[in-house]
Amino acid sequence: MRAEISNPTEFTFVCPLANGIHARPASLLAEVATRFDSGLSVVNQRNGAVANLKSTLGILAADIRHGDNCSVQVRGEGAALAAKALREFIFQNLPKADGPVVVERLTHGALPRSLQSSDVNYRAGAGVSSGVGIGKVVFAAPIRLPLQVPETATDVQAEERNLDRALAAVRERTRGMLARSLSDAEAGVLKAHLALLDDVAFVEELQHGIARGNTAGKSIADTAQHFISVLQGSGSAYIRDRAIDIQEICARLLQELCGTSVPSDEVELCEPSVLLAETLAPQQLLAFDRRWLQGLVLEYAGTTSHTVILARSLGIPAVVGVKNAASVFRAGEQVVVDANRGLVVSNGIDVVHQFYGRERRVLTRRRERMVREGLAPAQTLDGKKFAVSANVSFSAEVRAAFSEGADAIGLFRSEILFLDRDTPPTEDEQFEIYRDAISVAGGRYVAIRTIDVGGDKPIPHLHLPRESNPYLGFRGLRIYPEHRDLFRTQLRAIVRASAFGPVKMMAPMVTTHDEVRWLKSQIAEVQRELSDQNIGYDPAMPVGIMVEVPSVAFILDQLCADVDFFSIGTNDLAQYFMAADRDNARVSALANVRHPSFLRFLKHIVDGVHAGGKRVSMCGEMAGDVSNLPLLVGLGLDEISAAGSQLPNLKSEIAKLVARDCRKILDEAMAFTSVDEIDQLLARYHQRARQESLLDSDLVITASESLTKEEVIRELVDALYVAGRTDDPDRVEEAVWARESIYATGLGHGFAIPHGRTDAVRADSVAVLKLRKPIAWGSVDDEPVSIVVLLAVRDSAVDNIHLKVMARLARQLMDESFRGRLAALDDQREITQFLTSCLQLQP
Amino acid sequence: MKIVAVTACPTGIAHTYMAADQLGKTAKALGHQIKIETQGAMGVENELSESDIKGAQVAILATDIEIERVERFQKIRTIRVPVQDAIKNPAAVFSQIGG
Repeated sequence: MRAEISNPTEFTFVCPLANGIHARPASLLAEVATRFDSGLSVVNQRNGAVANLKSTLGILAADIRHGDNCSVQVRGEGAALAAKALREFIFQNLPKADGPVVVERLTHGALPRSLQSSDVNYRAGAGVSSGVGIGKVVFAAPIRLPLQVPETATDVQAEERNLDRALAAVRERTRGMLARSLSDAEAGVLKAHLALLDDVAFVEELQHGIARGNTAGKSIADTAQHFISVLQGSGSAYIRDRAIDIQEICARLLQELCGTSVPSDEVELCEPSVLLAETLAPQQLLAFDRRWLQGLVLEYAGTTSHTVILARSLGIPAVVGVKNAASVFRAGEQVVVDANRGLVVSNGIDVVHQFYGRERRVLTRRRERMVREGLAPAQTLDGKKFAVSANVSFSAEVRAAFSEGADAIGLFRSEILFLDRDTPPTEDEQFEIYRDAISVAGGRYVAIRTIDVGGDKPIPHLHLPRESNPYLGFRGLRIYPEHRDLFRTQLRAIVRASAFGPVKMMAPMVTTHDEVRWLKSQIAEVQRELSDQNIGYDPAMPVGIMVEVPSVAFILDQLCADVDFFSIGTNDLAQYFMAADRDNARVSALANVRHPSFLRFLKHIVDGVHAGGKRVSMCGEMAGDVSNLPLLVGLGLDEISAAGSQLPNLKSEIAKLVARDCRKILDEAMAFTSVDEIDQLLARYHQRARQESLLDSDLVITASESLTKEEVIRELVDALYVAGRTDDPDRVEEAVWARESIYATGLGHGFAIPHGRTDAVRADSVAVLKLRKPIAWGSVDDEPVSIVVLLAVRDSAVDNIHLKVMARLARQLMDESFRGRLAALDDQREITQFLTSCLQLQP
Repeated sequence: MKIVAVTACPTGIAHTYMAADQLGKTAKALGHQIKIETQGAMGVENELSESDIKGAQVAILATDIEIERVERFQKIRTIRVPVQDAIKNPAAVFSQIGG
């Protein structure tokens, strides 16, 4: 006899996740629970909901929101062990399970000025997957569960067989789609559908229906209704957005069981098309031929619904929340889905057709320019090249880092591989991860930092001792001799990976030269072992060290003989150097990297490494802060490494610096006696450096074909957009027209100076356009206009810069030789130089 | 001849300066000495002092709006013209001064 309910173990927790326990954390929780045979349930004290912890759907249905008190109950076989594991997961991992949910910037349909005329037929909504697509309207019917299902069952066993057959068929269908899936997002959605088909609570609910005497069909319909109404009642949008997945899976089950079809599956696209639907389920979307699918317009869809996530990953522009689209647009009519603005516009009239034709060319030019700029190596105005690399923690971040323009991976933090697990990763496991990162890097190097744990970064399976002063304790390279197997395993994996592309290895927390010698001897031993086993590696793999402990700064001349490169970790270096704990609010200000003493120390390190003929980079937080760039360039670092998302900004700021000036700034900063003075110095420099030139040759349009004032202004605003001076051309256009409508800006002599103030421009800008054929403008002399100079200045612009420029231009216009000269020039660069000097446009 | 002038248009963005430039150029061509004050969006620039005005024989006010400190010109011969006249036909403005 076994006691069924012997001493149930129970513990409580408060939901730590801001978005509640939505699909991802719920599936992780269910994954842990499924490892145990015990009965595991969670009770949400707020609403009394009870859920089987092995069921993702059940956990979702319990609607556990941020701050809800929950109790976990564990019964039966191995209850104590299961409770311990769950408790650990809930308190240690669950709070971290809520990665940033990516929600794109939403746009809410406002027509651009050029389209604000009464005969433009459009509907507004929320753009949830950016882009512009054009195609013919195809209506897709939403999934509706069949209302008529056989009500009376004859034989329970027969109904169970029917259900199993349907479940198996839908699983097969979904697996087939998974095998053909093209992206991680697509695979993720299909895996979620497969998990649902095996979900304990879902299958139990289906079986209970049959046990109560229902047909399989009736039971599926009831189960769908039950879970859909529970999920839709949730306070979390993430959870509500999962209801359509239930609806689709149940519809697919009924499709197998009763032979009813999902009508949209029958629709075949054979030309560029835009789908209009009330709602659309994920597999419905995937069933369409993507070559022809140009846009998606939905009346109802959550921004985190799987359908929207798929549209984003497939690059299909999508606008949702569009009411009554069916009454506005006809099937077969050509429409534009402008998800950048949140619009669906009928493409039937010339003005729309022309606007979006031009828009497409502008978007292409802007994208090409961005890619060109971001991927080019960073260089100061006076030509000093500066490598900008990425810090990453996961191999998945490597690809993203390169698409942000990283020159290399300057810091691959390997310790993440060792966290959140019961045993360290095996050699092969690590080798594969490093090799994958190297292959993505495609010839650019990856600097792998060996495991950096201890004290503040505990790892359970290492059983490191608790220490009273962990920062000064057993951490970084110091633990390697005692955990020799762990370290040797990692070393072997890294050295093996070096056969597949450029790898650098670096060690954390190096303090003495003896440690470096030990490190090198370990590497040599590993290389010998591998040679003996006929396993390939790169014998010339560079070996570097982190500069974190101040002691190494004073033996650089000696270390340079044994170390190939140095990477300054400013976070630890500053706190050791200043003897101030960064996490202790009372003293953390002392660890400020802008103290004159610390800047002098950095200068000493960079000069020392260079004297030894080696390279030095910086990978701490100091390197990710754009405002520190003048100091970093001034120091003469060879490379900086920061989070991938910061790289485009760092690179574009470096391009505005002058290395010579930066050296002077550093000298000035090191001569100051307080952080405040240095802060002010940098703020002043930053403001000066930010004053981009008002005009550059990208902003000069010669031989424009525009025929109206509207087109001219749009063309000029688009030039600002392509050049990256604004992200919101519509707002700049509005600002210019707001001014134009008060007083036409034609000055006579064929000139016009439209202008506007708006913070939609990043920098005060002048753009110039010369028309092939003069057009009417509404000038004082009623003469047509052939040269247009547009000024767009920020609200916060200083010194009335635009007034000065316009006053100078107005005076120059009275000068016949100025007008004649400008009329004669047709080279962008010459026009830029001429106007820059005549109008004093240099910063 | 010594001349002083003020230019001012409603928005003060362009025409004030265009008029000033035209008057300056034309005066030079005609052999006059001229000092021109602009009252535009940037405020009063190249301001005329009491002694500038005292030393001049005539003041040209090319303005479409009430100008600031108009009382300065009470004791001097004053010619008032629209801004557009100064821009389009500055020679005609100077011909009003006469011999």
